[in-house]
Amino acid sequence: MARGTSDISELDQEKYDTDEQVKIICLGDSAVGKSKLMERFLMDGYRPEQLSTYALTLYKYTTTIDGKAVLVDFWDTAGQERFQSMHPSYYYKAHACIMVFDVQRKITYKNLTNWYKELREYRPEIPCIVVANKIDADMKVTQRNFNFAKKQGLPLYYVSAADGTNVVKLFKDAIKLAMSYKKNSNNFMDEVMRELENFELEQKEESSDKEDGVPKEEKPSLP
Amino acid sequence: MEMEFVAKRCGVRFDPPSIVLVYEDGKTKKIRQRIMPVRNFSKYSDCSQAAERLKNNTRHRAYLRDVTSRQLERLHVVLRDRLLGRTLEQSLASLRLDPNQDLNKLSDEELARKKAQMDVLFERNRKCKDDPDFVYDLEVEFPEADDHETCSWDESEDGF
Repeated sequence: MARGTSDISELDQEKYDTDEQVKIICLGDSAVGKSKLMERFLMDGYRPEQLSTYALTLYKYTTTIDGKAVLVDFWDTAGQERFQSMHPSYYYKAHACIMVFDVQRKITYKNLTNWYKELREYRPEIPCIVVANKIDADMKVTQRNFNFAKKQGLPLYYVSAADGTNVVKLFKDAIKLAMSYKKNSNNFMDEVMRELENFELEQKEESSDKEDGVPKEEKPSLP
Repeated sequence: MEMEFVAKRCGVRFDPPSIVLVYEDGKTKKIRQRIMPVRNFSKYSDCSQAAERLKNNTRHRAYLRDVTSRQLERLHVVLRDRLLGRTLEQSLASLRLDPNQDLNKLSDEELARKKAQMDVLFERNRKCKDDPDFVYDLEVEFPEADDHETCSWDESEDGF
């Protein structure tokens, strides 16, 4: 790991816990077209933030979901994938993942296994979309089954950053998945909190019972 | 307007570093060869700038009209690689796309070369905002049919 990239943990990521902030990460080999997909989706509206010390590019996107403004941070690698591994902070608090391979290069498809394994080490539950990019180079690939996605139970999108096929749909769907994951995981946390509160209440009740009962019960057993 | 010179082939000469052009003279219909020495060129030179410089050179530009900047740049890359001690084979391999090569393992410069090559296809197929048939949210369904062929990439032992 390059020295510079370790500083990534200094980035403030607590904001992603708030309702209106979402983090979506892109994974995949060098030159599969991750940045080109981002740029096609954001068009003129894109203003990437190059964090070269972290080997990472942030693309900010604002959208409205259910009448509420949502800020989406797309995290794109800036060469960090060359270490065949990403810094843990890259995965930290991510709500969805877009995992890209190049339909013209088998090795980028084979490497999905490694990327997916690493993703699941850090984020076992987040939604993940598999993206077959560069279909403009050979439309016949859309007639082929890529078993990796099916085997992992992941959606597969055939896209082209060059002619735009399914790019906008991909990102919109990724945002929806991220939002629903966030909502559900929050609900899950709420439930856990409620359970904990109940637990504490029960404990209190128990202990208050004891406080009442202890003196009475303990008296006879005193020596 | 009729082309005065029609480029047929180009190549390099290493000593002294030169770009060689084989062309047809539009008037005489004769095939001729032109050797254009590359001046002020070292292993630290920017190949893209050097290519532009040659293309705009007052003595050569008429001959290089239908040679793309990209091709001239590639020829300069081969010349510079030689100055860096690389063989012609290494040089050409770095300019070729090998679908099985793991690009994660390349240096910045080598990766940039591969990306530049991929960009050729990207630009050719690119639909821009100003194109009349541009659609921002272009959705195409690729229904999953039973007769989909299994991807040959899956037909191996390594856990796929």
